[in-house]
Amino acid sequence: MKRIWGYIATAILFFLLIWVWTLQLERSLNYSEFVSGGALFFVIFVLCIFNLRKRLPFLPLWPAHKWFLLHTVAGFLALFLFWLHADVLWPNGLYSQILTVLFYGTTLSGILGLVLEKIYPKLLTRIDLECIYERIPRDLGEIRREAEKVILECTEKTGSDTLAQHYYETLGWFFRRPRFIINNIFGGQNAQTWIIRKCSVLERFLNDAERGYLDQIYVLAETKMKIDFHYALQTMLKKWLLVHVPFAAAVMVMMIWHLIVIQVFFI
Amino acid sequence: MTITTQSRPQRWDQPFGSEMTDADVERLLGVPEIQAIEADKFPSGISLKGILRNDVRIMRYKVGDIVIREGDYGNSAFLVLNGSLRVVLAPGLPGEMLGRRKIKKKNIWQALKQLWNQKKNPEFRDIQNYNNKSGVRESAVLGSSHVFLQDVPAVLDSNKTAVLEGGALFGELAALGRTPRTASIFAGKDSELLEIRWQGLREIRKYDEGWRRLIDQRYRQNALKAHLGATSIFSHLDENDLQEVADKTVFETYGTFDWHLSYKQLQGQERVDGKKDEPEICLQGAYPDGLLMVRAGFARISVERGNGRQTITYLGAGEYYGADEIYRAWKGEPDVALKVTISALGYVEFLRVPSKIIEKHLFPYWESGRPGGTRVVTAEPEQRKGTPDRKAENGQMSGRMQDYFDQTFSEGALQEWAVQERFVNGTQAMLINLDKCVRCDDCVRACASTHDGNPRFIRHGKTFQNLMVANACMHCADPVCMIGCPTGAIHRSLTGGMVIINDDTCIGCETCANSCPYSNIRMVSINDENGKNILDPQNHKPIIKATKCDLCADQITGPACAFACPHEALKRVDFRDVTRSGESIGGY
Repeated sequence: MKRIWGYIATAILFFLLIWVWTLQLERSLNYSEFVSGGALFFVIFVLCIFNLRKRLPFLPLWPAHKWFLLHTVAGFLALFLFWLHADVLWPNGLYSQILTVLFYGTTLSGILGLVLEKIYPKLLTRIDLECIYERIPRDLGEIRREAEKVILECTEKTGSDTLAQHYYETLGWFFRRPRFIINNIFGGQNAQTWIIRKCSVLERFLNDAERGYLDQIYVLAETKMKIDFHYALQTMLKKWLLVHVPFAAAVMVMMIWHLIVIQVFFI
Repeated sequence: MTITTQSRPQRWDQPFGSEMTDADVERLLGVPEIQAIEADKFPSGISLKGILRNDVRIMRYKVGDIVIREGDYGNSAFLVLNGSLRVVLAPGLPGEMLGRRKIKKKNIWQALKQLWNQKKNPEFRDIQNYNNKSGVRESAVLGSSHVFLQDVPAVLDSNKTAVLEGGALFGELAALGRTPRTASIFAGKDSELLEIRWQGLREIRKYDEGWRRLIDQRYRQNALKAHLGATSIFSHLDENDLQEVADKTVFETYGTFDWHLSYKQLQGQERVDGKKDEPEICLQGAYPDGLLMVRAGFARISVERGNGRQTITYLGAGEYYGADEIYRAWKGEPDVALKVTISALGYVEFLRVPSKIIEKHLFPYWESGRPGGTRVVTAEPEQRKGTPDRKAENGQMSGRMQDYFDQTFSEGALQEWAVQERFVNGTQAMLINLDKCVRCDDCVRACASTHDGNPRFIRHGKTFQNLMVANACMHCADPVCMIGCPTGAIHRSLTGGMVIINDDTCIGCETCANSCPYSNIRMVSINDENGKNILDPQNHKPIIKATKCDLCADQITGPACAFACPHEALKRVDFRDVTRSGESIGGY
């Protein structure tokens, strides 16, 4: 935590330096946009090369966690530099507006990612089950097969198809694929409530032997619920980048085009 | 109801040498060194003939074949039947000659070259390299392959050697003491050796006075005195006093040498029981009759609490217990008893220094107040080999024993878990803080991009609260994976102390992978440039190699996994620091 204050202090100093510089230029009736724009370009360039750094783990280019701190602080710095450069929250002109939308999109998706990365790991740890994202479909398949085995055994051993019928009509829906994704993303408890309700409605129709099998189904459902939770949260942890990175790439491309246009038609 | 039955497993179900015949046993009984053993002293269940039939094997070596390598961990001793061997004296043979991997850090350019040299298909191997460099003499039995020296006359010219002729016994100290071999030995002529596995050696030592005297005498002469002299509590003694301590010290072993095999089985069945599977060395409340020093392995220190036992700490190689109690008794305190129970974690080898000796040679020194003469409860362990950059500390442990007694159940829970899971063995365990880990797998990708496109660990493992010990090689203090490697391909690097595998000399026998109690070594099939398996021309089965984390020994960045973690969630840690420092490590 101490380390981030160093980055923040440097970012504030950098911003103040650019701000004072632009004020000086404005006072002497020069274009301050070249300075603020140049600084913004530099910061966005630094932000973008974090992705490149990730692909070169074998080069001694500073540890990734330091890059991450730099990336986070530089992201906020870029926002303030953008406002300094544009001088408004929402500029005029179609090109500038598209660029602004992309820039805000990148920033907001970045902030969202940061929030998710701070909150979700703790939520995942709390449920006391760890899964590898890529193995989740296989794990869910195994649980479903196990549940169906229990149902078949129950029918064979007790001669009653009540539990099988309930599984076919209701519980099977839950075991088929990840459920309650949206609710899980917001940390909701709907899955838990659903399982308790759907299992308890059946209890009065079962004898002791069948209740034993229902208990087994309940345990499997609880495990599946935890895996679903992992699925929802890990999907978010991975997929927010699918918004952030393309937005960032588009900003970079449009920014370079913006620079070329300025160079050709303005200077 | 069907009942599954199986005859009870017996000690000799798996003989050491499958080709041993009755004729071989008869022949061995005629060898003078074996003839001298008093066979009638052996119990009928463990007869000398039985040992010779099941615990030994006859090995043949051609000129230049390496029998044992300096630094290797072995589980057997050798008796020269005929032929002649050469012991390479200090400074010894270079690592590459012994079939070891030469670690050379990449420079910036070589590191950068990995970017375009990376093969599209994982586990690519250029088989030309094996043909040129390996120096492995293959055998039909995988475990009997040898590494051989390619130019014996040149080795003899450039190294000082001693000769071992028929009747010489060697390797017994490393086999019984679970310590690294101290010299390399190769065949000077075609030779025939009797290899005795540690179980057989232990029985012979137990029941035959002559062999016991020989082994113990050699241990006292060659190893014990030097070992005692290197400890912090006896380093002040002169030669004569050290000799007296060595003469009176008793050598004890507890647990089973190959604990890792049964532990792995029990773990699979989730049947590991701290109390049942750990032989007790001394009990809380017993009379302290000597200082217990750990020579190899680990021991659990626990105290009775409630209806169970709480692990308060553990002892590793170089640490000792009991001095405090003996000191208090020496100072006249009445009814002094041991405050803890000590039990063996798997296998542990103790040196018991009698109270009288401690009172004579240690306490007066403590009382004198001379430098280093402070009274300590438990000494700082010797520097762990697998811990690069660890500061050699002198004096007391970071926490006093009383602190361990005072810890609450919650404070001691991590230690309890680490001891139970044997993670205390790890000097470079991969510890992931799950509260910080965003499951991005950057660590896995970084590992893959530095290791033939295939990661050398799995980001999955046992968890305790928010901590996970991932399935990555922990570079153990007691590396049981190294026991039994026929070519010495898996070895401890002399620079850095990490356990690494030489891919060139690995023959894919799986001994190391089966031995690793933590399942951190993986066998992989190797591929050609097109991603197709390289096949053995004889049976058309894929050639497999053992792979594991090598701590990115040749990368300038150090372990790529930790270097690539954007949230500082992954660290390589010595479990001693995690469980004993009492401080949080980087927000853990």
